[in-house]
Amino acid sequence: MTAKVERLVNLTVALLETNQPMSLAELKRRTGYYDQADQRAARRMFERDKDELRRLGVPIATLPLPFSDEVGYRVVRREYELPDVDLTAEEVAALALAVRLTGGEGTPLALAKLAARAPDPAELPEPTTRVELADEAVGAVADAILDRTAVRFAYRTAAGVTGVRTIDPYAVVRRRTAGYLVGRDHDRDALRAFRLDRMTELPVAVGEAAAFERPSDLDVAAAVQGPEVEGVEVELAVAPAARWAVELRGGQATGRIHEGEPVMVLAELDPVRDRSWILGLGADVTVLAPASLREAVMASLDAVTEVAQ
Amino acid sequence: MSATADVARMLTLVPWLLERPGASIDEIAETFAVAPDTIRADLAHLDFCGLPGLGGGDLFEVTTVSDRVVVRMAEELKRPLRPTAGEALRLVLTVDAVAEVLGDELPALRSAIGKVRAAVGLPEQAADVLGTEGPASLASLREAVVSGRRVRLRYQGRADAAPTPRELDPWGLHVVDGTWYLQGHDHNADDRRIFRLDRVVAFEVTDEPARTPRPANLETPRYVPGPDDTAVVLEVDARGRWLEDALTVDEVRATDAGGARLSFRTDAPAWVARLVLMAGGDARVIAPDGLREQVSALAQRARERYGRR
Repeated sequence: MTAKVERLVNLTVALLETNQPMSLAELKRRTGYYDQADQRAARRMFERDKDELRRLGVPIATLPLPFSDEVGYRVVRREYELPDVDLTAEEVAALALAVRLTGGEGTPLALAKLAARAPDPAELPEPTTRVELADEAVGAVADAILDRTAVRFAYRTAAGVTGVRTIDPYAVVRRRTAGYLVGRDHDRDALRAFRLDRMTELPVAVGEAAAFERPSDLDVAAAVQGPEVEGVEVELAVAPAARWAVELRGGQATGRIHEGEPVMVLAELDPVRDRSWILGLGADVTVLAPASLREAVMASLDAVTEVAQ
Repeated sequence: MSATADVARMLTLVPWLLERPGASIDEIAETFAVAPDTIRADLAHLDFCGLPGLGGGDLFEVTTVSDRVVVRMAEELKRPLRPTAGEALRLVLTVDAVAEVLGDELPALRSAIGKVRAAVGLPEQAADVLGTEGPASLASLREAVVSGRRVRLRYQGRADAAPTPRELDPWGLHVVDGTWYLQGHDHNADDRRIFRLDRVVAFEVTDEPARTPRPANLETPRYVPGPDDTAVVLEVDARGRWLEDALTVDEVRATDAGGARLSFRTDAPAWVARLVLMAGGDARVIAPDGLREQVSALAQRARERYGRR
């Protein structure tokens, strides 16, 4: 028995070489495969092979055969072949370096395809910086984005609420620590961003391809960053141990003193998101203003004490 | 590795080798990011590929002499298969993320991205990387790495009460999921150490040459639990689920109402105590008792700043 990998490569070659769609019987004659006595077993084996090749991206077309009830199969060469990519030796080297630095699953193969007929890589100096990226489940949404098919998935929000979402997927965006899927949420009829690592089930395609158009004025950065929050000016009394942290955050000394500690001011803090940053400074700062933030921090500290009992 | 992945590689290997007669097994293995033996197995299979049947068939000719490979009679596969949507998206996101970090050092990367996008048919809007803008210290530290000069830091370690002075020979920078690190030989510890740039309170690049040679392989800045580390169990409610992203958690068990119980190990309990504080009542310590008391004491001292008992 021939190895399966050989059979799959040879099936690809046979389908590429034919100018007319071939029936299963012709494929059997041409390749010698699928010759089981049980014709249904042969058909099943072929169907599995066909599905597997399609998953790799081999565009196997199914076409009606003249004067027959059967269907034929072929691969149109220009749909299969990647046209030459006009990369320079420096570009190939830079791409290879990017792929080597990050080592993501599948990226070396994709690059080998793109650079198969490009010049060999030039010599480059060792870069100063290494880059590590979380491997995101982008494969599950890639087809839907390019085919413009809606997807459905289970999602847990930052607030811990789980629900099923249906969206028109427009883009995948990577921002600092996470990857996001950006698209139009059907139920909310609004642009939303979803963290890929908070999908509790992988997205599945629903409905037809080419079901929507990507808006020409799509602003993925705005979708990922969420609504602009009006920043507030915050005054903190800062103990020496926290001074560096407040300074790194842009805090400026006011010259005033509160109970023996310098008062520092921070412009443009997000009163909700930055509350936890202030809480993390623990007993090294006191919020002096605004009063609403001071109250919120006090309430949070009470809550910490309460749940720790 | 699955047969499917093997087939995907073999379909690319053929055109790649047709362009590079006499390529070495090692070079091929490096390009495709697999072991040399995997390439040898691929080549053994490819010798049986082509068009079988028809009086011996019309097979590829694979010759390997002292680990140099020549493929002939394989014009059927002279161009690579197009990358799948998933491969294309992943490659573009990877390369784009590296270009955000190293674009100035590797200008060829920027020009390559456009060509890659065009070749795989991925519109700019469908895959994007938002700025991984580094800290202000970056340009000087890069320069210190390239020119090999000693750096003085004031650094707030995760487990330290206050920033401490450090002196190091810088070896390289890392970006891990958007967070920047500097790695080098720490003269105070007389060992290699990794510093998070957002904890560098102040720094100075000296005129002294760095003397400790850079090792061949730099470690990835990733926390690896040691035998002396503290085992911690936290319970978070739905709003505290963000702690999962902030910690390297070993086990997550869902609890009622969207909450979870998180188990992990840490070398810096004081840092975990601050994270629990940041959650402001959305998280509590189940174990160990010492950490729970630490959180309580910290919250209590913070409350006293606001006049609460």
